[in-house]
Amino acid sequence: MSATNTAQRVPVEERLFSLVLALLATEAGLTKNEILSTVQGYRQRYSISGDNSNLERQFERDKDDIRELGVPLETLETPGQAGNNQSLRYRIPRGDYELPADISFSPEETTLLNLAAMVWREGSLSGESRRAILKLRSLGVASVDPVLGYAPRLRVRDAAFDPLSTALDKDVVVRFGYLKSGEQVSRTRTVAPIALIQHDGRWMLHGEDLDAGGTRNFLLRRIVTPVTTTNTKSPPVDKSAATSRALAELEQIWEERRATVEVEPDSDAATRLGKRRGTAHEGANSLTLHYSDLDLLADELAGYGPEVVVSAPPELRDAVRSRLARTAADHG
Amino acid sequence: MAEKKSRSTPLQAQDKLTFLLSLVPFLMDHDRISVTEVAEHFGMSPEQIRDAVRLIGVSGIPGETAAYQHEDLFDISWDDFEDNDQIILTHRVAIDDSPRFSGREAAALIAGLQYLSALPEHADRAAIATLMTKLSRGASAAPSQLTVQSTDTDDTLALIRDSVEAGVQLEFDYLNSRGEHERRRVDPLRIESMDADWYLRAWCHLREAVRTFRLDRISHPQVTSEPITHRIDDVKLPDTLFEGSANDLIVTIDVVAAAAPLLADYVPEGASTVEHDGRLRTTVRVSHYHGLKRLIASMPGVAVVVAPPDARRAVEEWAAAGAARYK
Repeated sequence: MSATNTAQRVPVEERLFSLVLALLATEAGLTKNEILSTVQGYRQRYSISGDNSNLERQFERDKDDIRELGVPLETLETPGQAGNNQSLRYRIPRGDYELPADISFSPEETTLLNLAAMVWREGSLSGESRRAILKLRSLGVASVDPVLGYAPRLRVRDAAFDPLSTALDKDVVVRFGYLKSGEQVSRTRTVAPIALIQHDGRWMLHGEDLDAGGTRNFLLRRIVTPVTTTNTKSPPVDKSAATSRALAELEQIWEERRATVEVEPDSDAATRLGKRRGTAHEGANSLTLHYSDLDLLADELAGYGPEVVVSAPPELRDAVRSRLARTAADHG
Repeated sequence: MAEKKSRSTPLQAQDKLTFLLSLVPFLMDHDRISVTEVAEHFGMSPEQIRDAVRLIGVSGIPGETAAYQHEDLFDISWDDFEDNDQIILTHRVAIDDSPRFSGREAAALIAGLQYLSALPEHADRAAIATLMTKLSRGASAAPSQLTVQSTDTDDTLALIRDSVEAGVQLEFDYLNSRGEHERRRVDPLRIESMDADWYLRAWCHLREAVRTFRLDRISHPQVTSEPITHRIDDVKLPDTLFEGSANDLIVTIDVVAAAAPLLADYVPEGASTVEHDGRLRTTVRVSHYHGLKRLIASMPGVAVVVAPPDARRAVEEWAAAGAARYK
């Protein structure tokens, strides 16, 4: 059996595990050549005299994979040999790898974190949550109660979410086609992402619009083209402060925008709109609703058909009326 | 529950690596532990644990000789492992402690916590804030900004939560999507949510079956002192919130591609979707047209019912009746 055949039988996780162990154990770091020629899973495929370019590419992919898991893989230049790729040394600094000793989680906190991870059991962040929980269990704390009474979940159905969260993580500028409400043609936006925010059940990107200048919120469902990730780094900004500011602004807009509607007594509209967050009951059948986005509220209200009539503001009245007329015409 | 389901799920390489890096420190803290206990703790199958232990037992670092000598490798007590299914780590290398969370992992948990802070028993915002700080500090990179606004939930949720906890029956007025009011008595089983919407899964004494109730359609809830007759383990509680039935009506719809995900819950498995005039033509499954007309009317210009004619008429009449109120 050739060396290559044997090597292919070293499972991926064994190669990655051996790489992490080797890089954790070295203070000074290992060169790429040392890694490829000695570490389990590479060494079996290493050729002393021949071409190792496949193996090098494998190593590049493996580096990305383990970094993605939060393993801080560091690159050091050998003094006096800056710029020489072959002399770069790789290592995993223990202090950045290990969970700080003073961080521990109580059984109650562990229970809460298990539930927080469960929230993402569908879709984009389910892998991240699953792995976070494995790390949490590593600490040996059992949760107090499986909290069977709850099964909360967050769901992301917007195709833009994944590429945007990756860009956010890498801190790079993105480009996408955005269809502003009421416009027929989408326009390309160049944005430095700051945060992904779910407000009132809808995901939006908060970011700096680099063409227009200034920060904007973009509803993910209005991003109508695939998101292009560039290699341009986002301008530095205190993201945490910007996110708090954006949330406060969203709340303020929601607080300020009010609509008055008349609902049919005992109807679905009366029951559900009456229980909507922030709704005030003005009279027997009159409600004041808060909203952030006129078009989204108009869509929601149109769904109730004859069970609700908008009294104010006039532009919402028009928006709902034209929506209903359009739907009737589309089905006539 | 999701946790139980994952027991037999095969892991991807990245998950396996994370598991290996998590298992080693756990074993270091336990002088002797059975495979079953470890499986229980990590929510995995005993075979997955045995595979991982076998791999750890032969792994290590190249060492000074770069030849993986005996002292450069982990070692376990193989006799105890093979004969008694017990794990005893006898020699370890390289790893001293549990790994940090990645920035994305911490971000996912932090956003999950923000979402959970809406639950009545998590009113202690300070405790949640402390936990979030710990996650940030325990991550190898700054968690990316992923924020979920915590919406205040009303008293109904707290009341239902109490009845689930106490295992007692619950009564409430329910308005179904047909517009009918009924007083229901149920065995509350589980509270579920999807983004900003909350649901109660319960055994309905009126229908004698498991039903999903929207919390915003529940009025005048009352907790009784009557114990529940059906427990969560007695009934088959499906993983999906909405289930199809054999009596469902099949409707053909044209939808703008970007809006297609909004219909995903209603599209039966294996339904064909073809592009048609720049839109997607697909089929959805509904139990009656009352739900359909509301759904389609809330997607104006975006989704259009193509067939059958009855369904088109139901939507047209609904929208026309709505429009007529503005004349």
